[in-house]
Amino acid sequence: MATVVVIDDETMNADALAFVLAAEGLEAHIAADGAAGLRVIYEVKPDVVITDFMMPVMTGFELARVLRANIETASLPLILLTAAQANLGREHPELFDAVFEKPCMPPEVIAAVHRLIDSKRK
Amino acid sequence: MTQQLVRVQSGVPGLDTILCGGLVQGAAYIVQGSPGAGKTILANQIAFYQASRGGRILYVTLLAESHERLFQALATFDFYEADAVGRDVFYISLFKVLQDQGLSALVTALRNELARNRCTTLVLDGLLIAKDKAESALDVKTFVAELQSHAAFTGCTVLFLTSARTDDVSPEHTMVDGVIQLKEELAGIRTVRQMRISKSRGSAALGGLHQYRISNCGMDVYPRLEALLGTPSAEEWLEQARVDTGVQGLGQLLGGGLPPASVTMLMGPAGSGKTTFGLNFLSLATPDAPALYFGFYESPQRLRAKGRALGIDVEGLERSGALVILWNPMTENLLDLLGHQLLAAVREHRIQRLFIDGMTGFHRSAVYSARLIEFYTALANELRALGVSTVATLEVRDLNGLSGTDPLPEYSSLMDNLVLLRQAGVSGELRRFIGVVKMRDSAFDAAFHDVVIGPGGLRVANRLVLGRSDEPDAFSASTGRTPTIES
Repeated sequence: MATVVVIDDETMNADALAFVLAAEGLEAHIAADGAAGLRVIYEVKPDVVITDFMMPVMTGFELARVLRANIETASLPLILLTAAQANLGREHPELFDAVFEKPCMPPEVIAAVHRLIDSKRK
Repeated sequence: MTQQLVRVQSGVPGLDTILCGGLVQGAAYIVQGSPGAGKTILANQIAFYQASRGGRILYVTLLAESHERLFQALATFDFYEADAVGRDVFYISLFKVLQDQGLSALVTALRNELARNRCTTLVLDGLLIAKDKAESALDVKTFVAELQSHAAFTGCTVLFLTSARTDDVSPEHTMVDGVIQLKEELAGIRTVRQMRISKSRGSAALGGLHQYRISNCGMDVYPRLEALLGTPSAEEWLEQARVDTGVQGLGQLLGGGLPPASVTMLMGPAGSGKTTFGLNFLSLATPDAPALYFGFYESPQRLRAKGRALGIDVEGLERSGALVILWNPMTENLLDLLGHQLLAAVREHRIQRLFIDGMTGFHRSAVYSARLIEFYTALANELRALGVSTVATLEVRDLNGLSGTDPLPEYSSLMDNLVLLRQAGVSGELRRFIGVVKMRDSAFDAAFHDVVIGPGGLRVANRLVLGRSDEPDAFSASTGRTPTIES
């Protein structure tokens, strides 16, 4: 079973997305800030990470930089799901494999998750 | 020695005025209002204004609408700057911290985030949620006090948003430096939004309720005119020269003309020639001594057409910069918005002649009409201080004659001059009359005169002589008596 970590300070958003991912047969974990997300990532070693941008303690941007700087997580598929920083995310393809602007429909995000899992396995 | 408070401009028009200079830097405020009153708009408007001036804002939500919904709503306002989000204005939710770890952990998280983002302003949306988490009133006080002391120490201004009614004894109310209440209320069948500074520690504030409006520009606050202009902003200065009304022949009745910078009330029924009088009055404006038409009835187009019919070149006056037309249809207006709009136009264009058509427009927009006399007093005093010669119309019932001429006593006492227009059917002919009832510090001819509307507008004609002057209401068409005319 593939594993996904969802990081969003608006925990209801994270819960909702985790619920949809679980319904897709994926194992979903959530965290409410970038630093907490990083701990979960090191613990569960997910196949894909979905993160928000503006968050307490550590932003999604800072999280992405930490992940890319670490050999173990340098190529971990990372999706940015943001309400206001989609453009900034798209300017950094080296950090984010996909960028979605909220509001967006869950099927779009799920399709991207599947695509990234598949390409990782190839 | 008094220490000067450092002020933070809110960027919300009118709010800094009622706060007597702006928010106090490093102070904590509660912004209280029922859902829909505009707390979020106010806080974000302040946030983006601060961001535009180099400030950094931490906007923390607890259990509120999602940030994406918030941005969608904010994007409809002019003040919203998408590029500033995440760069200067940081939106985070700390609900999880509050839920899992409680109030003291929330304080720590807020301190850390303020420091991490080097913020100068904190907005906490959801004080009620934090309060719900508190086990005692002391917890709430401690929470507010801890944030407040941190804010004061770091010079960070704090806005707590809450929908809860706070009263003087609410624990959070006792702790904060200021309370800004937003009220949305029904007045009859319309909605009126009003703001009140119910607490302002260490700084004066303009008391009572002030109307505000929410438009795509955000929030505009209109300080209650009679509170703001309790005393006129400048000393009245009177010169000896008389002001020509532009109505041919009226100067003789007025002892040469109107006293300068005086307020004249022009009373008359519909069709008696009030607006025509106004066009005559405005026609003497020049680019160096411009005039303002502030009306509720005729639209600019209709006013120009009326001018054309009378041979008064309204468009030419406008083109040359001699005349400014402001028209507010008599729909749902706000009294203080009208007052501020009027005074702003007078100041901006250095208006010397003002024609208000008519006072009913103010009257209809006053939600609380008991304040009208105070409003008119403040407005009239300020217009005098600005050196404006004002003529304002008041429509009265058509009594078909010269009787029924008294306005409300409060009205006539706050006006310098009172001129009446009357009409009556005499021998199958509608005739119009003009009479001067009162003039400030001046002698005048009190006799009614015939007045004619024709090319060039209004013209005073013959003195009216009544056949039986010893009777109290000598002239009334209904009694069948006919006046004689002196030629």
